[in-house]
Amino acid sequence: MSPAIAPPPAPVQAPLIPPSEHRWAEVVHRLEAGGSMLPDTPENLMQIIGIYKAYAVPMDFYWRDLLYIAERVFLNPLPAFKYFPSQEYLDRPNAYAGEQSQLPIWRGGEKAHPELLEFMAKGETVAMPKLLHHLWHDRINMEFAEACMQAMLWHQDLGGRFNDYLASEAYRANADRAIRAYFKGNPLMLGLYKLFPEMFLEQVKQLSYYANLGLFWEVMAPVFFEMSDLFDEGGFKGVPDAMDFLVNGIFAVAGRPIYHHVYVGEECIEVIPKSEGFTWLYEAALPYVEAVFYRTSPFRGTKSYNAQAGQIPTEQADFHYGILYADVFPVGSAGIPPTLLMQDMLHFLPPYLQELYAQHKRGEDDQLIQLGVTFQRSMYNVTSAVIQALRCALLYPLDDTDPEHLLANRRFFEAQLDRFLRPEARLGAIQSQDYR
Amino acid sequence: MTPYTLLLLLALPLLAGLALSFLPAGSPQRVRSLAALATASQLAVALLCWRQPPADLQLAWLPKLGLELDLGLDGLSLPLVLLTALLSTMAMLSAPADQSRPRLFYALLLATNVGVVGAFLARNALLFVLAFELVLIPTTLLVAIWGGPRRAGAAIRFLLYGAVSGLSLLAGVLALGWFNANGLDFSFSGLAQADLAPRAQAWILALLLLAFGLKLPIVPLHGWQPLTYGQAPTPVVMLLGGAVSKLGAYGLLRFGVGFLPDTWAAWSPWIAAAGAVSAVYGALNAIAQSDMRRLMAYSSLGHMGLLVLALAAATPLALQGAVAQILAHGLIVALLFACVGLIERRTGTTEIAELSGLLNPLRGLPVSAAMLLLALMAAAGIPGLAGFPAELLVFEGSWTAFPRATLVCLVASGLTAVYAVRLFNRVGFGRLDNDRADWQPTRWAERLPALALTLLVIGFGLWPNALVGWSATETDAMALRSQPFLAVSPSVTVATAPPRTVQGLSGTIALIPSPLAVPSS
Repeated sequence: MSPAIAPPPAPVQAPLIPPSEHRWAEVVHRLEAGGSMLPDTPENLMQIIGIYKAYAVPMDFYWRDLLYIAERVFLNPLPAFKYFPSQEYLDRPNAYAGEQSQLPIWRGGEKAHPELLEFMAKGETVAMPKLLHHLWHDRINMEFAEACMQAMLWHQDLGGRFNDYLASEAYRANADRAIRAYFKGNPLMLGLYKLFPEMFLEQVKQLSYYANLGLFWEVMAPVFFEMSDLFDEGGFKGVPDAMDFLVNGIFAVAGRPIYHHVYVGEECIEVIPKSEGFTWLYEAALPYVEAVFYRTSPFRGTKSYNAQAGQIPTEQADFHYGILYADVFPVGSAGIPPTLLMQDMLHFLPPYLQELYAQHKRGEDDQLIQLGVTFQRSMYNVTSAVIQALRCALLYPLDDTDPEHLLANRRFFEAQLDRFLRPEARLGAIQSQDYR
Repeated sequence: MTPYTLLLLLALPLLAGLALSFLPAGSPQRVRSLAALATASQLAVALLCWRQPPADLQLAWLPKLGLELDLGLDGLSLPLVLLTALLSTMAMLSAPADQSRPRLFYALLLATNVGVVGAFLARNALLFVLAFELVLIPTTLLVAIWGGPRRAGAAIRFLLYGAVSGLSLLAGVLALGWFNANGLDFSFSGLAQADLAPRAQAWILALLLLAFGLKLPIVPLHGWQPLTYGQAPTPVVMLLGGAVSKLGAYGLLRFGVGFLPDTWAAWSPWIAAAGAVSAVYGALNAIAQSDMRRLMAYSSLGHMGLLVLALAAATPLALQGAVAQILAHGLIVALLFACVGLIERRTGTTEIAELSGLLNPLRGLPVSAAMLLLALMAAAGIPGLAGFPAELLVFEGSWTAFPRATLVCLVASGLTAVYAVRLFNRVGFGRLDNDRADWQPTRWAERLPALALTLLVIGFGLWPNALVGWSATETDAMALRSQPFLAVSPSVTVATAPPRTVQGLSGTIALIPSPLAVPSS
């Protein structure tokens, strides 16, 4: 056998700008090359696509129920059945899935996902009435979706015009109309509304965020389903491919209207009309990423580890308890309690992820933590997509030949990565495959 | 039941120890099984003895020296034999499945068992000394060969303290025989009737206090304990803390209270003071420790202080409390070390600062940590667990005799809760360190000893009469003081000893009889 002849070295092109000296220089360079913050490895690709699939199924429930609460449950003072969306909402066609869609992202059906319906019927236990599943907590954890919504409501100043609009007279007038219509013929609630109008208005604002998040996730669920299907068909070559799919998806649906309609009987009251021009990217996606991925809030249980450790900053803007920082080991101790979502995703793990988890750490016994770490990896990839989309919208192409433009891109990337300089950030951890 | 059953209690571990040498060294699990089977059989035989007590066994051995193979079981020694057999079995099962040099390791554990059980069975003081001394050799070797990084220093210190203890005991026992005006007789029955001059009694008690105080230990004779408990392998430290140290308590009760009551009563204020100092010193040092094993060593020291207080008070209740404390502490300290051993085996450390979040259900060691929590609660005297009735009896029984010392010990008992909470808050709760949490869960087979001890700690807590019922007759007979305010009830035996006036070093001490005490016939 003759020895292999090494190919001639490719001509080395001198870089147009010097290397980054940022602490995460390696990641900066990867982003500049069109990559993701998550290293491009076959296992990372498998992990993130698998978890997108497991995330999308409960998300299909979240968005339907969020809209159900915002539009139908509305100000019900005793919303005991708010986690029981009506059949109408379970059958509500997803605007981005199925043949009826004008912009079909997922080739599958537009109604609630079959795996979701199957789980709702059986849960982890056996088929029994919905109420029993609910009381046994054998169900989708809508509390997670509400925690995300509350993070968006609470942090408020996250860009876009949505939050400012909630303080406008137009919004107050629309909300007032909706409140009066909803409580028509109910002198007790109307009397209370007269006594405490701001309290009712605050509740409506919260419901507007229900609608906001519901409309946001209505897009994301088919995106993730489609990514899963493409992966199963061998469609992605690596992590950057998956990120690019997200970037393209973001641009495709960026202009989707964000609105809040309330249905009282047959009447539809537009609390936030579509005509206000709020869009999916600026009024939903970016605030969501900021509020949920980065900030959220410290664990609000009876025993807050963050508070004990003196880790609660005085400024809300300094909060950093999101999934990009969350410690998924002590279950439910930091950030939006990922436990609830992790529990939901556990029910819908694709077989290849289950096999992967069985080979590492404690196998089946700690799948919950392993999938939590996978979810963290996948959200770094989603955040990378958002960063690349913003760069694309606001700055210059990656293959630009003007060094000034490339330096502007560099400054943008470095500024984004500055947010991961804090020790709690998991950016360093996800660079290694050993972090599980 | 035949008296030779008592020989069986010694023969089982002895023969098993010899049989181990015929097993292949490459199968440590088989070696462990045989050793554990021997001590489990010993436990079964001891339980049979409890159901049907055998008569004492007397065989001439070296009669010219007053040495006879005089064995017996009474209410004091039976529970201690049961405790030793149980803890020996648990210790064997706590050893790792891949124990290095298993034949020697388990043979030495069995030899320790033989020594401790022999001492408890002995009805002859010289035989007791022989067994007492026998324990020192295997335990020193176990620490020296299988201990932690500082095992050499720990073994040497343990040996030196043990040698002083042994020599002191030998001198004390010989003096008991030689200065006895009734003639040379080392049998317990003879020593109970010994006629000793007050000065001789004082010297002998001083020697015995040194001997047993070193073994127990109490402040300031505890120098060997933290290092040895810190370095000894888990099975060894379970035996050391749970059974071997109880030789000291048994010796003080049998020899001090039993054979030298006058001098004991005269010295009891000082002994009670030493107990109180030990309790506070142990608890305060436990609070300051950064290593779990050392913390438990000082915790044990503190609990021995309570035991000494009860022995000093020597009221019927206090002595029942002392026996209960011996048993409860034996179980609790063995459980504590079993849990620490499980944690150490997985995490590789006993440093408190390096551990956190062990209760985490997915990546922590939740079962081991939960058992540790229960053991700490028991050590802190939480009601419903074995530590509570024992400490309650100690305090209740000692209060009338030494109120100040009892109050100090109560404060020390409160401090127990401080270090228990401090330890568990750091180790059990909090954030599980991502970098360290890379260990596998403990298996049920590994947890078995700790689980068994946990059940016993709960059982004795819920049914405390099982702790005190063993020795009531003996302790009541040995009581030096009556219990002034104890109501007579069918479930509690009050003082049966007659009110006595004893001769102390500084004159005659009148022991006031209780109006409610029932005089012995």
